[in-house]
Amino acid sequence: MNHSRFQEVCDVLENCNYRGDYFQITFRSRLITPGVKAGQFVHIQLPDMPHLTLRRPFSVFDASTDEGTLSVIYKVVGAGSTALAAVERGKRISLLGPLGNGFPATPIGRGIIIVAGGYGCASTYLIARGAAQPGVCLLGARNKADILVEDAFAATGFRVHISTDDGSCGHQGLVTELLDRVLTETAGASPVTYACGPNAMLDAVADMCLARDIEAYLSYDMNMCCGVGACFTCVMKRKADNADGWEYVRTCRDGPVIDAREVYREDGTT
Amino acid sequence: MAEVSLETRLGDVILKNPVVTASGTFGYGKEYADLVPLEKLGGITVKGVSPFPSHGNTPPRTGEVFAGLINSIGLQNPGLDRFMNHEDYLPFLRTVDTAVFINIWGRTIDDYVAVAAALDSESEGIAALEINISCPNIKEGGSSFGTNLTLAGKVVEAVRNATSLPLITKLSPNVTHVADFARCVVDHGSDMISVINTYPAMSIDINTRRPCVSTVAGGLSGHAIKPIAVKIVYDVARAVDVPIIGMGGIYSAEDAIEFMLAGADAVAIGTALFSDPGTPLDVIAGIKTYLESWGINDVADIVGTVLTV
Repeated sequence: MNHSRFQEVCDVLENCNYRGDYFQITFRSRLITPGVKAGQFVHIQLPDMPHLTLRRPFSVFDASTDEGTLSVIYKVVGAGSTALAAVERGKRISLLGPLGNGFPATPIGRGIIIVAGGYGCASTYLIARGAAQPGVCLLGARNKADILVEDAFAATGFRVHISTDDGSCGHQGLVTELLDRVLTETAGASPVTYACGPNAMLDAVADMCLARDIEAYLSYDMNMCCGVGACFTCVMKRKADNADGWEYVRTCRDGPVIDAREVYREDGTT
Repeated sequence: MAEVSLETRLGDVILKNPVVTASGTFGYGKEYADLVPLEKLGGITVKGVSPFPSHGNTPPRTGEVFAGLINSIGLQNPGLDRFMNHEDYLPFLRTVDTAVFINIWGRTIDDYVAVAAALDSESEGIAALEINISCPNIKEGGSSFGTNLTLAGKVVEAVRNATSLPLITKLSPNVTHVADFARCVVDHGSDMISVINTYPAMSIDINTRRPCVSTVAGGLSGHAIKPIAVKIVYDVARAVDVPIIGMGGIYSAEDAIEFMLAGADAVAIGTALFSDPGTPLDVIAGIKTYLESWGINDVADIVGTVLTV
């Protein structure tokens, strides 16, 4: 069997506070790193926590095959991420990956639009770094403290626009308001949109792109258990050719990236 | 000293070693194929198959609790036709050099019979059927059969009449005396027993005030249920004289050996796979080391050898 996914015990090279409640952890990973595509994730086993029986999935933020390093950005929100934040350099941690389908490759000569809400930026950075040509990156968050990695995006040559709910940075309002403007500006370049963020944001991105007949790929975040498609925990509805018109697909294996045209909406839209 | 033998006989079914995967935790095998060398496993038990495709339950479907996991997947599956014919399911499993157990379920006795009869007619590569009468997460069928002695006997008898494949019956822990159910299903034609399925359980997020699964309650697995499972294996082993596959919170060789001492001929790994897919291989290696350290040549020689006086 060709191995595309690996279970690898990785040295922690760095685990530092990135900003506010956000941390960045970097691993030495020789096996997983070379296969990583934008939008894929790794499933991290929490060390020394046998009473927490599940791994924690995190999008790969950055990966370097030359250096054999892989990093994720995470927010401390619960018992698992709190435990992860306490991990020190030199600790050996088991990773599964790369998992999930990832975003499709960016097309040459067309507009590229990245829309990231909150730490959705973590799963979209590799799109910008590997893009066929620079495009536009729209970062949205509640406030300035939650705007992450704008410098990294800017360094890829992408134009970065920011929105915050409270106006503490960039446009005051929703990131989809920026998207509306950008879709109008770039309509002639038959753009492709790549998005990751809260589900409500993804729904809005899908609506706007589908209304204009623009290709869009959305990365969903669902609770996961196995991470490899075996347990059927992380399902979401996708359109299907059956009596109900939908089926549950596994976000971890059939996703997390879904073509906006395939997402089944409960309200019957699109 | 002679090489230690891990070969395990479950009646007419011969396993390379006593370690199999538990239904519902290993998909249909293919999901783990590039992470786990499937041919090294004693066997694979696939996710439950019904005659009809099933969406399963509305998410959320699982919640992590202290030392355990509550699940309410609701037996999502592609249905019998697709399971038997699509390359991701039975045709793939036929290419794997290990024992394959097909877990079957339905809403009615006829459903169970339909699956059993169809698999009986295309039985190449199938080591046994595991009759699931103990899933706590579906409204009809499942544990409504497994918590009623009369119905349990009827389901097993009907399946027995529909197939000559070896039959395992997976029992619920949620009855007063599991041993009574073990006797009943053996009397009605079950060749083996697997115990335990998950235990009904509930957990509430105190901030959202919502249960962790959409069905309010689900089935508890993981470390938390291990001592309960060991006790049930012990009770069942004293009640019936058929092979037993023990499961419930096995994470290590030490856990597995405990089940075997209590009376399990083989063991199944479930929830532990989610934290470490390598668990079955570690358990196999650890059992071998244990046997060597005690100078025991045949793994069967430890089964049921717990000292109680």
